[in-house]
Amino acid sequence: MFFNSLTFAIFLPIVFLLYWFVFSKTKTAQNAFLVVVSYYFYSFWDWRFLFLLLFSTLLCYVTGIKIEKSTKERERKFWFWLSIIFNLGFLAIFKYYNFFAFSFSEALNNIGLKSSPLLLDVILPVGISFYTFHGLSYVIDIYYKRIESEKNVIDYALFVSYFPLLVAGPIERATHLLPQVKLKRSFDFEKAKEGIYQIIWGLVKKVVIADTCATYANAIFDNYTSMNSLSLILGAVYFAFQIYGDFSGYSDMALGMSKLFGLDLLRNFNYPYFSRDIAEFWRRWHISLSSWFRDYLYIPLGGSRGSKLKQVRNVFIIFVVSGFWHGANWTFLAWGFINAMYFLPSLLLGTNRNNMETAELHWDFNSVKVFFSILATFSITCLAWIFFRAKSINSAFDYIEKIFTNGTFATQFLQNQRYSYELLLLVLAFVLVEWNSRYKIEPISGKYSWLKMTLCILSIIALGTYADYKEFIYFQF
Amino acid sequence: MKKFILLIAKILLTLLLLLVVLDWVYTTVYLHSSNRGKVEKVFNSKARNYDVVILGSSRANNHFVPELFEKKGLKTFNYGMSGAHLFEASLMLKLMAERKYQIKTVILEADLGLCNEKESEMIAAKFLPYIHHSKIIKEHFSEQKDFKELYYIPFYRYVDFDALIGFREMYQTATNEPTNILDNLGYHPLGHKPGNMKNDIRALKPIRNKYYEEIKRICKQNNYNLITVMTPMCTNVKGLDYFEKANKIYPEIHNLENVIQGDQYFSSCGHMNDKGARLFTAVVIERFFNKKTADTNINGIF
Repeated sequence: MFFNSLTFAIFLPIVFLLYWFVFSKTKTAQNAFLVVVSYYFYSFWDWRFLFLLLFSTLLCYVTGIKIEKSTKERERKFWFWLSIIFNLGFLAIFKYYNFFAFSFSEALNNIGLKSSPLLLDVILPVGISFYTFHGLSYVIDIYYKRIESEKNVIDYALFVSYFPLLVAGPIERATHLLPQVKLKRSFDFEKAKEGIYQIIWGLVKKVVIADTCATYANAIFDNYTSMNSLSLILGAVYFAFQIYGDFSGYSDMALGMSKLFGLDLLRNFNYPYFSRDIAEFWRRWHISLSSWFRDYLYIPLGGSRGSKLKQVRNVFIIFVVSGFWHGANWTFLAWGFINAMYFLPSLLLGTNRNNMETAELHWDFNSVKVFFSILATFSITCLAWIFFRAKSINSAFDYIEKIFTNGTFATQFLQNQRYSYELLLLVLAFVLVEWNSRYKIEPISGKYSWLKMTLCILSIIALGTYADYKEFIYFQF
Repeated sequence: MKKFILLIAKILLTLLLLLVVLDWVYTTVYLHSSNRGKVEKVFNSKARNYDVVILGSSRANNHFVPELFEKKGLKTFNYGMSGAHLFEASLMLKLMAERKYQIKTVILEADLGLCNEKESEMIAAKFLPYIHHSKIIKEHFSEQKDFKELYYIPFYRYVDFDALIGFREMYQTATNEPTNILDNLGYHPLGHKPGNMKNDIRALKPIRNKYYEEIKRICKQNNYNLITVMTPMCTNVKGLDYFEKANKIYPEIHNLENVIQGDQYFSSCGHMNDKGARLFTAVVIERFFNKKTADTNINGIF
């Protein structure tokens, strides 16, 4: 059941009405109802994985209490590592086992030892990377005594399985969501209105920008050997907007619908393509994941303290692990590695916290610099996205090589019978709208909100791509 | 909550209004176009006279050269559509009859299409803009499973088939951007590209097809002489007995599958190139329209 599906368009209003008119009496009723509908929502993918979700939830719930109650350090450590090993174990089995088994077998074959990998015939449970990280952060926070364990199993189950964030985040923190879950929610019109606007804007990003760009990006990436240079560059740009529209659109919808139930989720995107350097980009892209890795990996490793060598090591670890989190493929590792390389100069020069404010453009020389910084950051980001999108590292390098060698820079008529020019205009219009609303969560609220909303609805129904139905990219992670 | 329900009601009302307005705009554009495709050329036309009309899938569209018929003095148009099934061929013929087309002979390519009664979405969608303006189209679609949504929800059909009749197609229609579909009197010549010259059609099973029966009925009612043919395939085809099986169900269909031999005449296994199509058309003309030989054949099935 995808957020942009007809089934979900029926599901959400029913849940909303029942939540506020039938189950709104107590906090427990509200939470219990949301847990039930979240499990129902999750069962649409594969009901068998409900048991995995339930087990992961109960594991963290029980180990959290045990860690807190243990008086001996050995006991605390036992429960802590039990939770960590089981949680990471699930990820390892479902997401990474086949990759490692295959890579190991290939390495053996390369040195002349014949072997065939023992692969598992399992499908990746949707959202496993997200809800596992919820549980991990919760247990780690209890272990380090940053929070107290949650005693109410329903409240905890809601924190892990709340349907707007269950399958593709944002990755929530117990410190942020649990306190909200502990209180009975009353209906807030302004918050709900904000939520509706955010859902509509998320839909624009998904069906108008991401899915339309996907049609072109797929056509180009799938036939890159016969595409000319400009088409290949456009392919990378379209994919950049596809993945941004897709994931930030999903996040907007998740945040928006959560507001309908009176719960605020962590912001996941903050106009990343207006970043002036790669450090700023990573403060604005998939914020809940970046900050998760910062708090639970980078800082425990020493962060930016210690020698330069140690700092460089930490940066590479966090980026490569972050790449690997996306999927068991060398392309994601390469993508993480490239981003670490991008980040390195600003770390060594100490400029990684230079651009903390939102970018401004005026009619002066400094703005020219800002403009070109944004353009340069976007360009290198697109280059990295080629590795993210390509089927293998070799084809990514091949793709880049063909940008320089595949002849002319003339535009090309693509196989799917549509010219690129109109999409470029659409993307340009999208960029302008985003630029003008970069201080807000979404562009609809404020002056002329009714007109802006009407235009958004118009673009969703008239310009959206529906025939080539596309899933959300991040569901596979 | 009251304010919120009011907001949602306003949004839904705006949505409904937009759907109705957009539906009207798109439909109006398509109702005024006749130069981008074969469906609109027929739908937005009045009575026409033809000696020969060709119907069928790409195996009609790429195989019959109207120019050769015209040289014989036969006014011809190739209404074959790439991807079309008999569902669409039948509907096309119904529209022609409704518009009082005077047609002497209908050549129908019915071979591989005999095995199913499904609509071909990519072609069927082209009829949908007119669903509220034609009882025939409405009735033809009425047995399709998504008929209610397509007919009753405004603009739904343009959203559901956005790649075919959505914004981009509507915009190009409104700005009169030409296509090559109507060039060469509807015939689309293919070049010779040495490619995959093999095919496996063993899974296909010809059936008594209700749309073929419908086409026969329409022809009878309107005094159109119907010639149904099966057209050639390349040499390396597994399951060529399909054509014999089809002939057993419908003995009146002329099996011309083997009249053109040699892969040099093909663009792909199921489609002849221009050279092959010209040879094939010459055979068809010779067999059915040559005064001397036609007498024994032109009677067709009726």
